[in-house]
Amino acid sequence: MSYQIAQNYSSRRQQNWSRNQNTVAFVSAIKLGPVTNVVIIALMVTILGLIYLTQATRATGYDYATQKIDSQIAALNEQKSDLEIENAKLTSLETAKNSSVASTMTTPATTEYAQ
Amino acid sequence: MNLELQKGSRSKTLAAILFITMAVFVGRLFYLQIIQHDYYVGVANQEQIKRLAIPAKRGLIYALDGQTPVPLVMNQTVYTVFADPKTTTDDTKIIDTIRKIAGGNACPDLQALLNKKDSRYQVLATRITRSQADKIKQENLNGVGFQEESQRVYPEGSLAAQTLGFVDFSGVGRYGVEDKLNDELTGTDGLLQSVTDVRDVPLTIGNNNINRPAVNGKNVVLSIDRNVQSHVEQALSDGLKRTGATRGSAIVMDPQTGQIMAMANLPTYDPAKFNLVSDVAAFNNAVVSAPYEPGSDVKTLTMATGIDKGVVTPDATYNNTDYIKVDDRTITNATLGQTGEITFQHALNWSLNTGFVTVAERLGDGKSITRGARDTMYDYFYNRFHLGQLTGVEVAGETAGTVVSPTTSEGNAVRYSNMAFGQGLDATMVQVASAFGSIVNGGKYYKPTVIAGVVDASGKYIANKITQPSMQIAKSTADQVRSMTHVARDTFFASLDRPGYYIGGKTGTSQVIKNGVYSSDETVGTYLGYGGSEDLSRYVIMIQVSGDNKLLQGARDALPIFTDISNWMLNYLEIQPKG
Repeated sequence: MSYQIAQNYSSRRQQNWSRNQNTVAFVSAIKLGPVTNVVIIALMVTILGLIYLTQATRATGYDYATQKIDSQIAALNEQKSDLEIENAKLTSLETAKNSSVASTMTTPATTEYAQ
Repeated sequence: MNLELQKGSRSKTLAAILFITMAVFVGRLFYLQIIQHDYYVGVANQEQIKRLAIPAKRGLIYALDGQTPVPLVMNQTVYTVFADPKTTTDDTKIIDTIRKIAGGNACPDLQALLNKKDSRYQVLATRITRSQADKIKQENLNGVGFQEESQRVYPEGSLAAQTLGFVDFSGVGRYGVEDKLNDELTGTDGLLQSVTDVRDVPLTIGNNNINRPAVNGKNVVLSIDRNVQSHVEQALSDGLKRTGATRGSAIVMDPQTGQIMAMANLPTYDPAKFNLVSDVAAFNNAVVSAPYEPGSDVKTLTMATGIDKGVVTPDATYNNTDYIKVDDRTITNATLGQTGEITFQHALNWSLNTGFVTVAERLGDGKSITRGARDTMYDYFYNRFHLGQLTGVEVAGETAGTVVSPTTSEGNAVRYSNMAFGQGLDATMVQVASAFGSIVNGGKYYKPTVIAGVVDASGKYIANKITQPSMQIAKSTADQVRSMTHVARDTFFASLDRPGYYIGGKTGTSQVIKNGVYSSDETVGTYLGYGGSEDLSRYVIMIQVSGDNKLLQGARDALPIFTDISNWMLNYLEIQPKG
């Protein structure tokens, strides 16, 4: 990489100028060689690649989180359905008939109806 | 100069080699990526993309408890525990754990199963619950795995078993509603297609992902009321013990809607243990699948035909001599002695065959059962009362039965004289009960059904609309026959019924054909009746009892079962007695 003074000043009168035209031109003192360009491009490609990888990994990470939540939902649904079955069994006629309350019930001798 | 030339020559050669090499690479890449693109995409997809079926849940089946659906059939996830004997390390621990947690679900002789070191798959326990599986998993047993499957569970045990049917081991509904509505109950499996990692976790990368959710099966609500069903099964069981009958069937219908409130058959079975049933006859719902000669119950239909055609009235008379000749046959009454000029009401009370053969004759020229009389009877029995044809009730295995057409040689006067009192035709109980329902409700025939509605995904019960009935006989005809059956029951059995209600019915004792002739050592007892208030009949009940080589009677053996159920129904439906 080489550096050189590149600021050249010239008076207005030394130039033909017209209205609204810049009177001072700035030229960068840093000049990049072909190797530098290649390195910079390679760095940019690497950074872009890293960004892509980060995003892809993050998306995959979400997939794992989703999968974990899905599994939890499935397990909870299964638990819910087991409880529903248990509830249905406990409230079934068979359970009611065999309950201690039912065994102490008696048939009324007479029944009267409200008119 | 020579050196420069040589230098240039090497560079060119190197360049040429590089160019050729690159050309080969480019050519090869072109071949692989462009020409063979589809092939390699396919291979990659095979490796990376998994297609997982999302199983649809089979629909639940509910019964009613009053107007509230209660589950009769549910789904439960159960597990099969298996081992890979080649990779198991601590067989003693595996055996102890499985025996302790799986209990009766563990396979016998676990040691022998684990000793089969050449095998990669041995089942150690079947149908264990999720909590049992979790406990086994906590033990971290090497070489032990779990397979998940869904099974039907029956919170009410064997209640309404033959109406429900069961689901076989391949997941297909067999018998009953499970079979008839298999497509609706099964639903449609979903599909998850995605790139997965090594543990089969689906990833969102890739363009060909599909996530089609499963469509679960319909949750069906039966019109079967579990309380009515339970009482009917109990009453039938008690009745069979009392009478010595070995088979019994019962149906309870709402005559105002055609909905079946209970359908029971004995012997029955436990649908959760269908594989242990030795006699497959137990799977059949005889109410819909076993046509028989219904016997004297059909006299109500013959009377309705005669009244509707205007040839008889309940008070019209005929001369009963206890026998009547039809062509070369003589038909006699089962009960003798009610001879002389008697009314048709009297004939119904005493169930005299001669009276109903006379009705059939009066449908013709008054002396014989002419072709015209037979055509009329066929029109009423087959077309209007729907005997001998499928009702379309939503239970698998329905059988049509037979009403012989007068256009055939078998459809002669003798046949139709027998049909007048319920012999010589085959009908199922659901057909007869539905036909009788059209008499007790004022002449409207409702198609019988066991489906009351559905429970949607949010758990809301949506009741079906009641199908429009078809008017089959005049209301005045229906009312007269209803009244006749009330009188017939009141004549002999009034004391059995709760006071203040309007109950009616008809007994039936039918002969059974064995080896082509009517057997003298076997009869089927039937009772067909209704109950409710005088203004509105709320239920129709039909009972049938039978047994090999057993002489069973409608009045003695089937009627008490009807009475038991009828008196209970009056309470259950909270029908107010007339003061």
